[in-house]
Amino acid sequence: MNLLNRRSMLKAAGTSAAASNMAAVELLSQPAMADELARSGKNVILLWLAGGASQLETWDPKPGRPTGGPFAKIQTSLPGVEISELLPKMSTRLDETAIIRSLNTKIADHGQGYFLMDRGRRAEPGIEYPHLGAILAHELGQIDSKVPDYVSMYTSTEGRRQGSAGFLGARYNPMFLTDKMIPEDIQLPESISDTDHRDRAALRKTLSQRFAQRMNHAGVGSHENAYERVRGLMASDYLFDIDREPTAMRDAYGPTQFGQQCLVARRLVEAGVPFVKVARAWWDSHGQNFETHRELCADLDHCMSTLLDDLKQRGMLETTLVITLGEFGRTPKINGSLGRDHFANAWSCTLSGCGIRGGTVFGKTDADGQTVTEGEMNAGDLFATIFSALGISPDKEYMVGSRPIPISDFGSEPCSEVLS
Amino acid sequence: MRSPIFLSFALSVLLNAAARTEASDPQTLADRIDHHINERLRAEGVSPAAIVADETFLRRVTLDLAGRIPTTTERTNFLSQKEDEANSQVRRRGLVEKLIHSPDYAYHTRNQLDILLLLRSEHNATWREYLLEATNENRGWDQMFREIFQPEDTLSGDVRPVSYLKKQLNDLDALTNGASVKWLGVNIACAKCHDHPLVDDWTQDHYYGMTSFFKRTFRTKKGFLSERFEGLPKYTDIYGDEQQPGLMFLTGQKVDIPPLEIDEPALKKLQEAIKKSEQDDKSDPPPRPDFRPRSEFVELALRDEKNRFFAKNLVNRTWARLFGRGLVHPLDQLHSQNPASHPELLEELASGVVESGYDVRHLTQAIVLSKAYARAGNDTETQACPPDLFAVSVPRPLAPRQLSLSLRIAGQNPVKLQEKSDPDSWSVEREKLEKGSEAIAKKLLIPNDGFQIPVTEALWFSNNLSLQNDLLRPSNDRLVGYLKKLEADDEVVSAAFASVLSRTPDAAEKSAIQQYFAERGDRREEALKQVVWALLATPEFRFNH
Amino acid sequence: MIPATLKKTNEWKSSDIVFCLEHMAEMERVWFAGSDFNVYQYDLSLEKPERQPFDGEGHTSYVTGMVRQGNILITCGYDGQLCWWSIDERRLTRKIAAHERWGRAITTSPDGSKLYTVADDMLCKVWDSTTGELLETLQEHALQTPHHYPSMLYAVAASPDGKWLATGDRIGHTAIWNADSLEKVAEIETPVMYTWDPRARRHSIGGIRSLAFSPDNNEIAIGGIGKIGNIDHLGGPARLEVFDWRNATQRLEIEDNKKKGLIEQIIWSPGKEWILTAGGDNNGFLTFYNAETGDVLHQDGQTGHIHEVSVGPNFDELVVAAHERLTKWTMQSEPPKPASDETSKEESNSSEKPDNN
Repeated sequence: MNLLNRRSMLKAAGTSAAASNMAAVELLSQPAMADELARSGKNVILLWLAGGASQLETWDPKPGRPTGGPFAKIQTSLPGVEISELLPKMSTRLDETAIIRSLNTKIADHGQGYFLMDRGRRAEPGIEYPHLGAILAHELGQIDSKVPDYVSMYTSTEGRRQGSAGFLGARYNPMFLTDKMIPEDIQLPESISDTDHRDRAALRKTLSQRFAQRMNHAGVGSHENAYERVRGLMASDYLFDIDREPTAMRDAYGPTQFGQQCLVARRLVEAGVPFVKVARAWWDSHGQNFETHRELCADLDHCMSTLLDDLKQRGMLETTLVITLGEFGRTPKINGSLGRDHFANAWSCTLSGCGIRGGTVFGKTDADGQTVTEGEMNAGDLFATIFSALGISPDKEYMVGSRPIPISDFGSEPCSEVLS
Repeated sequence: MRSPIFLSFALSVLLNAAARTEASDPQTLADRIDHHINERLRAEGVSPAAIVADETFLRRVTLDLAGRIPTTTERTNFLSQKEDEANSQVRRRGLVEKLIHSPDYAYHTRNQLDILLLLRSEHNATWREYLLEATNENRGWDQMFREIFQPEDTLSGDVRPVSYLKKQLNDLDALTNGASVKWLGVNIACAKCHDHPLVDDWTQDHYYGMTSFFKRTFRTKKGFLSERFEGLPKYTDIYGDEQQPGLMFLTGQKVDIPPLEIDEPALKKLQEAIKKSEQDDKSDPPPRPDFRPRSEFVELALRDEKNRFFAKNLVNRTWARLFGRGLVHPLDQLHSQNPASHPELLEELASGVVESGYDVRHLTQAIVLSKAYARAGNDTETQACPPDLFAVSVPRPLAPRQLSLSLRIAGQNPVKLQEKSDPDSWSVEREKLEKGSEAIAKKLLIPNDGFQIPVTEALWFSNNLSLQNDLLRPSNDRLVGYLKKLEADDEVVSAAFASVLSRTPDAAEKSAIQQYFAERGDRREEALKQVVWALLATPEFRFNH
Repeated sequence: MIPATLKKTNEWKSSDIVFCLEHMAEMERVWFAGSDFNVYQYDLSLEKPERQPFDGEGHTSYVTGMVRQGNILITCGYDGQLCWWSIDERRLTRKIAAHERWGRAITTSPDGSKLYTVADDMLCKVWDSTTGELLETLQEHALQTPHHYPSMLYAVAASPDGKWLATGDRIGHTAIWNADSLEKVAEIETPVMYTWDPRARRHSIGGIRSLAFSPDNNEIAIGGIGKIGNIDHLGGPARLEVFDWRNATQRLEIEDNKKKGLIEQIIWSPGKEWILTAGGDNNGFLTFYNAETGDVLHQDGQTGHIHEVSVGPNFDELVVAAHERLTKWTMQSEPPKPASDETSKEESNSSEKPDNN
């Protein structure tokens, strides 16, 4: 595997710029470096609607149709655009958001659907594709970052899948929060003082140095890099502490766990964490779809709108892309338990903020929501769109062995209509 | 009524057993390895790194054969023998002989196989029991191959190896490619949607030809493995034409499918029975056809005398496990456009392994006795040489269980460990260590090619209480408790290095630690824990080198 | 009079979900409504009855409740509207915006003079059924669940003597009201009806779905669903609790794991011998319990979750509003022999399981 980390090159260029400003200028004039600059300081928050939210009770309502369910649609602040009445707050906050109503991803099974929407391509034996977070941590993060570059919160147990950074390597695995609101092992244990902890780390380094130098090996190097980051990451534990936020801000995000995690996500991206995933489980409403969405949409509506407001007020929305996405949508057909089942042929997601043409609704489904009639997109197209919004060329390739692997799936195209 | 396949299987077991008694002396094979490796080094004008000292060799080979670091008792025993040049070879040979016949070898090989075959994803204990039994009696790799791919036909009626197929049955592509990658060293996944773009050897026909061997295999609702009477995969090629390659092996060899000698109503009845067995969890397995594509796959793989994918893959994977890279690299790219670094060596080892009855232990023993295996890793000049010369050793990250077992051993009071060092006690102790190291092993990632240590591991080492409260406990059964009772700093440092890094400290290391102690006169126990921690968290401990 | 046999005699399939129905005295004609927003008349005496829709701009969402007042039907729905319909003219005669949120249920006082409606604004409203005048608004049920999600108010019932009123919500809270003074006189908690999943799925399911006072007015039966492991499905036991409401003491606590799901409706026999419960998961059930002991007297099931049951005046006929169908059942009221009762129970257990994908 031969992965060129442009960020570290830029940093290297920056260091040498002290000696010669000219060198840095020349480097920056190269296209790769311009590309690098375009995505500096960009972040992503993925609101992962695990289990599969219903497009009909969110972004693509069909009231009055046999498939429409009981809820009405409401007029949004965008002329002619209507969404479900379960999202009243979002209806007035679509200026920075693009709604995509034409996903056809075909796979309506949790495991494989998750794989597809997490990696933007189908599984292929013999190659381990990285997931979106790992790709973006790799593209947007810094190799020696003092803050985590990929935090994933998945506190519900159902459908929890950690995924893997695949061929990008374990360096890009997430800090995965499952039980607590703070990553495991990031806080100083009570059994050791801060001074001793620091000195112990220094002693470890002393005892490691000669071996690391003489072995001159990338794997050994990654070991030292991982330990080098420990103290920095421990120092970032305050990012997970929402008690440091003013009461008004905590109240604004509200008392639900999803709200609190959205607030943590905002604190993280504010501190420079390039990718944060907040998984909101579990939308798998085979029974009682309408009651489930009444509960979960209220949570989504409140938390997503508060997050967008907060990012906007801080001037961060221009550089932060907020994605709401799950593994699939839900069947237009309503079953006997007033539930909706798995459905991947015509469903919706949203993109807000960085690089997105706000106020856009892209794609159409038929009157009953059974098929996509306009602007069909698959997972690869969505990923290409996400990369483009962040200034990453969707044509970029990784070399895995002798095999070039495009960053977004073969044959995928970014959707220019939703890009600013 | 027993099928012909069944008989031929029984026969081959007998033949293999006969062949294995004639296996060549491992040292002879080791010399052949060095002959080939040195020949290429000479041709390239490279002088290889020096042979490592005894204490480095001991750690390296113990990790590779026993799956753990050596105990201080093993270290003392090995190093206290006489130290002249001729004797060193003899001593190393004795060490290898002892290790490779120890229960540790069977456990370690089992753990490695579990990772290779199922990425330790099978939670049913019988799978690991089966593997351990096989590695304990050093079962031939061909026999294990049969047992795993034809669990219905095993002589003993042992159903435990069924886990391998069962775990993958819901995904025909993964099953096919897994069989091909893990057992034959060939990755044909790229040829699923089109002929392989980079490798002429692999066409779409190869891909679908290989899936044909597994297409009929299914699992009944009650959990039995069975095979259908019909069904072959089809695909549409890039010209839009439908193709059905039939049963075709990697070599292009095809198997004729005998006509079904069942009439229409009988077939219908069978199909209904199969359908019922798939839906009804009380239904017994339906009758099995006489012609079974999966068995054909096994036969073709074992009889392929031209390409010998099966034997070469075994050699290549065993080599890679001990050198950090294969003679053919990557390990799943055995094809004409990716020749081996030492083609003759690969051929010779493949012949040897076939002759020995696919004796993995014999092959392993020969490799670790070679000089090539014993090269130093810290030679900065040879590090720059192409890695496929094997002129210098490459550090290899420990697998999860290697690391967690080594942590447990390093953390124990060496005197207490010594009390358990006679063979009988050690067998019991090893089983205990396996169990005791499971929780930590689960937290660790399986190293892959180009493995990077994740920061979560460094955080776990740095801050997790289970390490602090268990391994670093200052109690009598732990290393820290033992060090506490030693008086001189010098003695403490030497003991800690021996237990953790299996070597003697140098002056600089001693003085760094002594200074660390000096600054913590008021809290010596804490300082001891911190020093042991610092040693456990070095890359020197984390890697085999 | 104890129901001995229960037999499905007719089934009329449709593509929509029927939530509510009413019937004429002799059941030859029914009116129903549901997921296509319309109200229909249906003549069951015909071999192939056809739906006859009522005219008028009625509901704009699911119609969830219906009562009949002589030749007037009054319906409520998810649109928060109350609609009055003339049966003779088959048209809408009045429409009132009744609730801010989704209307869940409607019932009348025994004399028919008052209407009681409940909705997800968590209010119970009292109406003059003739004039449509709002008489009172009862505020009691919390807007949010203890886990900070919007709550729902599903059930309302009036006592046979007209003196009491009961309302029950999602988290298992029931309030009993004096129907004259409209003061709250008792509270009953049935928390098992509400399943909150804090770990696996982080939302809730359940709620009180049905309420019925006993014929002697002294007891209240509360219906819903018991604890559910996997709240993606209605895979919990049908749950019935009976209370002496004045003392809030529980007399019966019944869970049925054979026919699972929500109890959507409860009907007491006039002599208080039995309690009929109807509801379901993906499919429907009808279960008769001995009102004294709580033992199952008789049970049957059907394809299609049952939302409402209309019982004929002689208690020998039932018409059922269900998922994508109406069904009609006859009951025979001979005293049962225990053995045959046992057999029929077992037979009825073979119906399909809910879809568990």
